[in-house]
Amino acid sequence: MQQQQGQQQTQPQRPNPQQQQRYKRRRIYVRRKVCRFCADKSLVADYKNPELLKNFVTERGKILPRRVTGTCAKHQRRLTNAIKKARIMALMPFTSGHALE
Amino acid sequence: MKLRYYETMFLLDPDLNEEDREDAIQKFSNIITEDKGQIVNIDKWPLRKLAYKVQKKTQGYYVVMNYGAPGQTIQELTRNFRLDERVMKFITTKLDDEFDFESASKDFDKKESGASKEALQTTEEEQEGQEA
Repeated sequence: MQQQQGQQQTQPQRPNPQQQQRYKRRRIYVRRKVCRFCADKSLVADYKNPELLKNFVTERGKILPRRVTGTCAKHQRRLTNAIKKARIMALMPFTSGHALE
Repeated sequence: MKLRYYETMFLLDPDLNEEDREDAIQKFSNIITEDKGQIVNIDKWPLRKLAYKVQKKTQGYYVVMNYGAPGQTIQELTRNFRLDERVMKFITTKLDDEFDFESASKDFDKKESGASKEALQTTEEEQEGQEA
């Protein structure tokens, strides 16, 4: 079993050159996302403001990753803390399963 | 005694009448002032819907207190929050290691205009939605 897994890892599937080119071309059109908290300095990730925090969680209430929202590392850390505090205070749901509405 | 800058939010039972709520708020602010703490601001939110049920209740009154207090006060405050049945949830965060009443209250005047108004509006909208 282990040997098999090792073999799979050492032989990653390489996309053929044509595919790679297509990737590259598509990449150009991807717009660089900017951290919302850096763009607007007055905006603070505050646990008392669930309306703002809602933008950074999924419908199920899970925290969205940085790569989706474009938030910078510094603000993502503050954001996570704020969301977790808001959950504790019943301002935001932990999961949609227990949420009211 | 060195004061640090704290913010405490707690959630009061929705079945309390206004008198009881004021009494509870008074009790907790007394604990702070008795230890020579200084209260900068007390923000009482209107009745608000909770994100999930707490003690089988779906609504509650949030109160946010900003104050400077020595560290031991927080322990005493926390103990009282746990004992008091009117309090359903609470959270205390340290905003700064240094506390200066002047700058803290100045900072608050600015914030007041934006954040609490927004909170008011959203709860009003929610209430309208409920009626309809």
